[in-house]
Amino acid sequence: MILLRLISWQYVRKHLLRSLLTIAGIVLGVAVFVGMHTANQSVLTAFTNTVDRIAGATQLQITAGEAGFAEEILERVQAAPEVRVAVPVIEAVATPETRAKGNLLILAVDMTGDRSLREYALEDGDDSFIEDPLVFLAQPDSIMITREFAAENGLRANDALTLRSMDGPKRFVVRGIMKSSGLTSAFGGNLAIMDVYAAQKVFGRGRRFDRIDLAVQEGLRPEEVGKRLEQMLGAGYQVESPSSRGKQFESLSSVYGMLANITSLFALFIGMFIIYNSFAIAVTQRRSEIGILRALGATRGQIQVLFLAESAVGGLIGAGLGAGLGVLIARGMAGSLGNLLGEIYGVAQKAEEVSSDPRLLAGAVALGLVTSLVAAWIPARNAARVDPVQALQKGKFQLLTAGENRTRRVLAFVFLALVALSLVYGEGRLIFYGGYFLSIFAGVLLVPTLGLWLARGLRPLLKAIRPVEGALAADSLIQSPRRTSGAVAALALSVSLIVALGGMTQAAYASIEEWLRIALNPDMYLSPSQNLTDRSFRFPAAFAEEVVKLPGVRRTQLVRTVRVPVDGEPVMVVSLEVASIRKEVRLPVVSGDGDRMYGEAAAGRGVIVSDNFALQHRRKAGEMLRLNTPEGPLELPILGTVVDYSDQKGSILLDRTVYQKYWKDDSVNVVRMYLEEGVTVAQMRDRVAAQVGDRYKYFVFTNEDLRSYILKITDQWFGLTYIQIAVAVLVSILGIVNTLTVSITDRRRELGVLQAVGGLRMQIRGTIWLEAVTIGAIGLVLGWVFGAVALYYALETSARDLSGMRLEYTYPFRMALVLIPVILGSSFLSALGPAETAVRGSLVEALEYE
Amino acid sequence: MSKWVWLLAAGVLWGPDAFGQDARQIVEESQRRHRSQSQQYEGVLEVYDAKGGKNEKRWQYARTGSYGQSKSVLRFVAPPLVKGVALLVHNHPDRASDQWMWTPELNRDRRIALQDRSTRFFGTDFSFEDLEERDVEQSDYRLLGEQVVGGQACYQVEAVPRKTRVSQYARTVIWVRKDILLPVQFEMYVKTELVKRMVHRRVEQVQGVWSTLELEMQDLKKKTRTVLKTEKLKYNVTLPEERFTLQALRRGE
Repeated sequence: MILLRLISWQYVRKHLLRSLLTIAGIVLGVAVFVGMHTANQSVLTAFTNTVDRIAGATQLQITAGEAGFAEEILERVQAAPEVRVAVPVIEAVATPETRAKGNLLILAVDMTGDRSLREYALEDGDDSFIEDPLVFLAQPDSIMITREFAAENGLRANDALTLRSMDGPKRFVVRGIMKSSGLTSAFGGNLAIMDVYAAQKVFGRGRRFDRIDLAVQEGLRPEEVGKRLEQMLGAGYQVESPSSRGKQFESLSSVYGMLANITSLFALFIGMFIIYNSFAIAVTQRRSEIGILRALGATRGQIQVLFLAESAVGGLIGAGLGAGLGVLIARGMAGSLGNLLGEIYGVAQKAEEVSSDPRLLAGAVALGLVTSLVAAWIPARNAARVDPVQALQKGKFQLLTAGENRTRRVLAFVFLALVALSLVYGEGRLIFYGGYFLSIFAGVLLVPTLGLWLARGLRPLLKAIRPVEGALAADSLIQSPRRTSGAVAALALSVSLIVALGGMTQAAYASIEEWLRIALNPDMYLSPSQNLTDRSFRFPAAFAEEVVKLPGVRRTQLVRTVRVPVDGEPVMVVSLEVASIRKEVRLPVVSGDGDRMYGEAAAGRGVIVSDNFALQHRRKAGEMLRLNTPEGPLELPILGTVVDYSDQKGSILLDRTVYQKYWKDDSVNVVRMYLEEGVTVAQMRDRVAAQVGDRYKYFVFTNEDLRSYILKITDQWFGLTYIQIAVAVLVSILGIVNTLTVSITDRRRELGVLQAVGGLRMQIRGTIWLEAVTIGAIGLVLGWVFGAVALYYALETSARDLSGMRLEYTYPFRMALVLIPVILGSSFLSALGPAETAVRGSLVEALEYE
Repeated sequence: MSKWVWLLAAGVLWGPDAFGQDARQIVEESQRRHRSQSQQYEGVLEVYDAKGGKNEKRWQYARTGSYGQSKSVLRFVAPPLVKGVALLVHNHPDRASDQWMWTPELNRDRRIALQDRSTRFFGTDFSFEDLEERDVEQSDYRLLGEQVVGGQACYQVEAVPRKTRVSQYARTVIWVRKDILLPVQFEMYVKTELVKRMVHRRVEQVQGVWSTLELEMQDLKKKTRTVLKTEKLKYNVTLPEERFTLQALRRGE
């Protein structure tokens, strides 16, 4: 502690800017980690809070995936002796025509019994304020809203509230206003209660419920009752606690969580090099100080601890600042992330408040601390090994010994050999990712050697550009590879990340666009909702039957999508008319016989699964797939795998007849329409309106609309990768600034001598600028090479663990070229400050330095 | 133990003090005396909130069959927003009744689950359970003593539901007029707390049967009350069995 105060603190004070830059890497890494995870956590918390608050005293919930089930199930559940109370629920998101923006979460319940589970604290504290509970039940237009929603929209009891329903805009009457309570704060207060039987009509549910909420008899354990109910109802029904819905959402959005982890860990990894670089320089600069300490009796252990303690303090400060910054970042992005996840997964939540999890913050601070300690470990060890006699001699402090370099190269080649082996035997996750990390380590170990070669190679070019400044800049890099290798490594890693992300994005877009071209080829679509991933609204079968018969329609395909649990994870089942689809769409076959698989699937003798489902669930063509349906288990062979991006978690395509038979559900999410020659979308829009427009609410999407919609969501998703790219660039720029600052401090005497012998300020500036641009160029070239490897691993990671998308390897040359001005420009900009410091310092002090 | 419907439906008329101290005998005799094959009336329901605000509804009531096996239909006729809403109750001697509600605007019926019967009957101070008839066998009785209520000497009888019976009430204390064996006051307890009180205000003879024509149910926790007035009460009218079916309910009969 005394050493920290007397020695380290003095050093930090003297090199404040560099110290700040050193911890900046940790700040950014931790900030990204905390920001992205806190935003994700806030979305999850918002969803879980909505579920919890709506659940009330509910102990168990019965669902059949998203498909819902027939009303009769309710009576069976209510008759079970273990069940104290069981009530039907329909949950949907509707768009109100109110002055305040935002959707309304509709919780539709049977008010005759629901109070046993949920407390509806009403304004006026009395039932009579639901103007009349009997009227509420008797009139299908009754709705009860929260005080917050009422205040926001200036609504009072008996006012009209218009919601979009299956029958078009529907006028509801506010027949109750709930006081603020746990329930009313669900979905950010945008909650409305209505009668479940009225909701069946409004949301096109037929005689079905979405789920049953229940409480068990006193003294019984909900888990045991749940098992008994599952046995009673059959495997197609899931009986789970309300909290498990949060887990399902977490599982759905796990891809995002993983992306956040990769980004932040990468930022920390790059930050680690900055710290390593700074400490390595500090150790070299403070050799004489270390020598004195050792001469005065300090042990090697004390010296090592001193440097590690410095690193720990820096890491803690950086991590603390990073955590704070992360929370601010999360505030900025939670709302939009919530919308994005809502659009992708069709899950209702409203992330308005950012919830900072103390465990996450503590974990992030620990991560920052550990990163800092790991980065400083080698420099600290080197400091401890300093020989006091040599340390007190001046000069020769930047040399990287030939032996040290050879060891690194040997180690790098051993790693590369292991990487090659891992690629051959890389089926297992551990071996694959082990190979990934070894390839990074190998690259990092080779940075000093490769950097040196490149610097030597660039020397003639630099000399040709500016004979004096160019030669000085190149020599500085050649003579002090250790000083620059950290910055070059950080920059190379950043560039490699950018190349990998850019390549993956490019490949994903190419694949999605190809899929859109093949799979989404109808002329127009009819959807009951403006949001195509929202499955709250459905068309009844009667609607589809009428549309099918319209003149000018060449072919229609009815699609019903629904998530059902497979291997404990919600997976999208896409039920469609396979025979009809077969005539218009041929999804690229990954495995299986195309003709046979479509033929068999059309006959209901099997399912076709998407390639990403097969990869994520480790399934192959020919295997049996078991789906638990409300009618019991359905076992069908996997006839083949195709490229289908209907859902990030994979999709199971089966014939509509099979779905109707086993799920007892004939509703429709989307009607795909192919028009006869000469019939335009506008004409057909009019015909649909004339036929069903007065009775049903629907949205018409043209082929172009749908493509734009999907590409918009894809853009939003990949917008996250731009955050990663920005972080990578920022961290690497910090690395260059740090390196140059160190370099200038390190070379004050040299630069002083240059000025003393007549060197112009402009020449000094030019030297530093060229040095910075050269570091940038070396980092860029190495980054391009590392990026080629990283792209391979990124595509494999995507296929294996992210989305299951098997993407084609295409090196993003355009992006690589774009990086030239970005990185060289950033390098130049980062040199401006240090260059000014170099020329404006006192010449006398510079010559006295050391 | 049945509550107001039990009493109204029966048109209670108990004889003079002929049963000594046997509480069960008192109840049994009450039921026996007030048994009728059918009944119908028009009811006026006045619900008063804690601030004194009043909400009024009217309904028509019909019952066929006697204790524990009766079927009844209650159909609202006013105000217009609830007109046509109906409740069909099938009572059973050995188990809780089956109840269905019909909502004409939705054009559908819904079953009122057994578990829901402790909830309030459409915002009144009665619960769905209060609409049920219970057989005398479903409770144990104890004579607590005698008291004067409303100027009339009464037996004070405690009814505790048997374990086989599902009830929201832990016990009910009933005051039965000694002269006509007519219950004139009920107090219902949840656990040990007194939650409701029902007082029979107007008692008259109709077709020779002592009947309660006005009663008040008080919710002592919410400080609300509901007054039920009975008009055009008739006993032993001819009511076809088909009128008490789900199909008839849906047809609005």
